[in-house]
Amino acid sequence: MRSSGPDPFAALDLPVRYDVDTAALEERFRERSREVHPDRFVGASAAERAKALVATRALNDAFQVLRRPARRAEAVLAGYGVVISDREPLEPAFLMEILDLREELAAARAAGATADVTRLAGTMRARQRALLDGLAPQFARLTGGDDAAVLATIKRDLITLRYVDRYLDECDAALDD
Amino acid sequence: MLLQISEPGASAPKAACKQRVVGIDLGTTNSLVAVVADATPIVLGDDPIVPSVVSYDGGDVVVGRAAIARGAAHPADTVASVKRLMGRSLADLGALAGQSSNHLVDDAGRMVKLRFADGRERSPVQVSAAILAELKARAEAALDGPLDGAVITVPAYFDDAQRQATRDAGRLAGLEVLRLLAEPTAAAVAYGLDRGTRGTYAIYDLGGGTFDISILTLVDGVFEVRATGGDSALGGDDLDRAIAVALCGPLDQLDGAGRRAAVIAARAAKERLTTAEATDLAIDLGERRVARTLTRAELATIAAPLLERTGKACRRALKDAGFTAAELDGVVLVGGSTRSPVVVDYVRALFGREPLCELDPEQVVALGAAIQADVLAGGSSDVVLLDVVPLSLGLETMGGVVEKLIVRNSTIPCGATQTFTTYADHQTGFDLHVVQGERETAEACRSLARFQLRGVPPMVAGAARVEITFQVDADGILHVAAHELTSGVAAAIDVTPSYGLTDEEVERMLLESFEFAEADLVTRNLRTERVEAERILAATAAAMAADPHLLDDDVRRATEAAMAHLTAVAAGDDYLAIRAGVEALDRASKPFAERRMNLAIATAMAGKSLATVEEELAR
Repeated sequence: MRSSGPDPFAALDLPVRYDVDTAALEERFRERSREVHPDRFVGASAAERAKALVATRALNDAFQVLRRPARRAEAVLAGYGVVISDREPLEPAFLMEILDLREELAAARAAGATADVTRLAGTMRARQRALLDGLAPQFARLTGGDDAAVLATIKRDLITLRYVDRYLDECDAALDD
Repeated sequence: MLLQISEPGASAPKAACKQRVVGIDLGTTNSLVAVVADATPIVLGDDPIVPSVVSYDGGDVVVGRAAIARGAAHPADTVASVKRLMGRSLADLGALAGQSSNHLVDDAGRMVKLRFADGRERSPVQVSAAILAELKARAEAALDGPLDGAVITVPAYFDDAQRQATRDAGRLAGLEVLRLLAEPTAAAVAYGLDRGTRGTYAIYDLGGGTFDISILTLVDGVFEVRATGGDSALGGDDLDRAIAVALCGPLDQLDGAGRRAAVIAARAAKERLTTAEATDLAIDLGERRVARTLTRAELATIAAPLLERTGKACRRALKDAGFTAAELDGVVLVGGSTRSPVVVDYVRALFGREPLCELDPEQVVALGAAIQADVLAGGSSDVVLLDVVPLSLGLETMGGVVEKLIVRNSTIPCGATQTFTTYADHQTGFDLHVVQGERETAEACRSLARFQLRGVPPMVAGAARVEITFQVDADGILHVAAHELTSGVAAAIDVTPSYGLTDEEVERMLLESFEFAEADLVTRNLRTERVEAERILAATAAAMAADPHLLDDDVRRATEAAMAHLTAVAAGDDYLAIRAGVEALDRASKPFAERRMNLAIATAMAGKSLATVEEELAR
C-alpha cells in the first residue's frame, strides 16, 4: 500500500479542499519552487541545503498528488480517514462490465478495427469525464456532520476511475499501433 | 566550535573570486565545453567541436580528430560512440554489439567492457572519462586555471544506470560534477526562453545516438519539464547505417574496413544532402565498388521508419504533458541530426508549425549547461530548473509484481515511501529488487539493483513492518533506504547498476505496458491473490498451533473447511475464486482471531495473568 505521506495541501499552503484552480495551483507550485529549490542554496550551509532538498521533495511530491483530480480527491478523502487500498472490492456489475469492455477492445485491436477502438475510447472518455465532473458536486455535499454516505459514494467513484483510466491508456496504445 | 551564521533566505555567500565552472555536452558523436563569460555563454576553443572518439596507443590516449585519424589504421584500439555503451551490459546491446568495430566483452552481466589490441580491458566509463579529461584540459587552458566544477548533460531519457555511469566518468576525469542536466532542458535554457518568455515548448533533440523529446513550460525563469520521452539508442548513427545498408546491403556481410567505408560514405552523403538535392557516391568495398546517385527524396524514404519512432515518442510526451501540438507556443530543434532538411520537414509536419533553430543546434546544449553551471556557482539565481524522472521506479513484491513508487515524469528531486509486512512467521529478512520501467511485472522491467534487509526481529507473519524509502536526487539518480518500523533495523544502499537494457527494450517496455496491461492485470491479480492466500493460510495454521485452547469446535471445523477450500482454489488460476476463498477463511476464523486479539491486548494493557484474562474473556 502506498502511504499517503504528509498532507499535500499543507506543502503548498492550500486549504484541504477538492476544488482547486489549476492555473493557481501551478502558479503556487512555481512560486514555492523558486523559494525552496536547492539550486537557490548552492553556497549555503549543509544544514540549509539539506532543508531545501527536503522541502523541495515534499513540494514536488505534493504537486504530483494535487495536479491530478483523482489523486487530489483521494488526498481529501484521506483527511476524513477514508483510504483506498490496492485491493478494494469491485461492484460485481461493474467488474463484469469492465471485463466485457476489455474483451471488446482486445478483439477490436486484434482485428485492427480503429473505428471500434475510437468508439470504445469515446464512450469511456465520456464516462471518465462524468466521474471527474461528479467529484466536485459530491465534495460540495460534505457537511462536516455525518458524511459517511457521501464519502462512500466518492470512494466508489474513485475506485471506478482507476479502472476507467487504465482502460483509456490501453485505447491510446491501440490507436498508436 | 565555529558557528556558521547565515541569514534565512539570503543568497549564497559568493566566493571571493569567480569560480571557474563549465558546461559540458558529452555527446555520442561530438562533445563541447562552454562557459559563461561576461554574462554570455560561449563555447571554448577555436575548433570547439571535439569528436567523441578515443584512440589508445599503448599507454597513450588520443582524443578527438587525432583519434579519428588514428582510427583508420587501428580500428580495434579506437572507440567511437562510447555513449551508447554507458550503463549497458553486453546482453543489453544486442545487435548494436555486432555493429561495433571494437571487441566488446561481457563482464558477468554487468556493464560491458572493451578489449584492446594489447589485451587491456577498459570500461565505457573510462573511455568517456578520457573525453571529459580532454575537454577539461581545453577549458583549463582557455580559462587559465583549474576548474571548480562542471555541469554535464545527459539525454533526458537516460535511465539510472546510464546517469550513474556518466557521473562516474566525470569523477574519473577529475571533475567536480555539479549536476547532471537533461540535454533538452539545457537547450531550453540556452535558447534564452527564460528572458521574459512564457509558454510551453517542445524540444526535439536528435543527436548522434540518442533522441529526446521534452515538453517544457516556461514562466518567469522557472523551467518546468512537463513530460519527457525518447529513445536512448536512436540517432544520426542509425540513419548513417540505414543509408549504408540501402546502398551496400547488409553490413554484417562486409568486413571491418568495408563496413567503415560504407558508413563513412553514407554519413558524408547525408551531410551533402543538407544543401544539395542529390549527390554522387563511390564506395570501395574491397571486392566490389558501389557508385550511384542518392537524392534527398530517397534519403527521406530511408529515414522514414526512424523518424516515425521519434514521432511516436513525441505524441506520447504530448499526451503525458496534457497538451496538443496546436497548444504549443513553439518547437525547438536541437542536435546535429536536426540540420538535415529531411528531419526538419518531418518535425514541421508532425507539429504543424515551423520549428525554431536560430541557435546552432550542435552548440545549444553546451551553452545551456554553462548557464546552469553559472547558476549553481552562485552567478545568477533567477533561473530554476524543474526536471523529471523519465521512467517509473518501483519494487518487486511477492510474486514478481511491481509496485511503482515513483511514476515517470515526476518532478525531481522527489521521494516515496512504502510499507511491506512480513509474509512468513519468524521471517528475519527481506530481499528487495529495485526496477525501472512501465510494465507491471519485474521481469519485464529493467533491473536496477537487488539488496537485502537482514535482522528483522522474528515475529508472526504480518507483524514486522518494513518501510522502504525511494529518493531521486536532482541528478535523477535513485537512492533507496529501508528500515523495520517496530525494531528500527535500518539498511541503506545507493542503487548500483546491475544490468541494463537496450532502448528498443525501454521503448518496448513502455509500449508493452499499455499493450499487455490486460494480461498483466489478470496475472497480477492472480499472483497477488495467491500470495494473500498463502499468507493467510500460514498465519492461520500458526495461530491454531499456538493457541488451540482459544478454538471451540464449531470455529475449528469451519476454519479447517475454509482452509481446505482455499488451498484447493489457490492451486487454480481463477483469482476471483481465490479472493472469495480468502474472504471466506477470514469470516470463518474471525471469532478465533478476535479472541486472540483481545487476549493479546488485555495481556499487554493490564499485565494480568493469562488465567485472569481468559476468565474475563469467558464472561
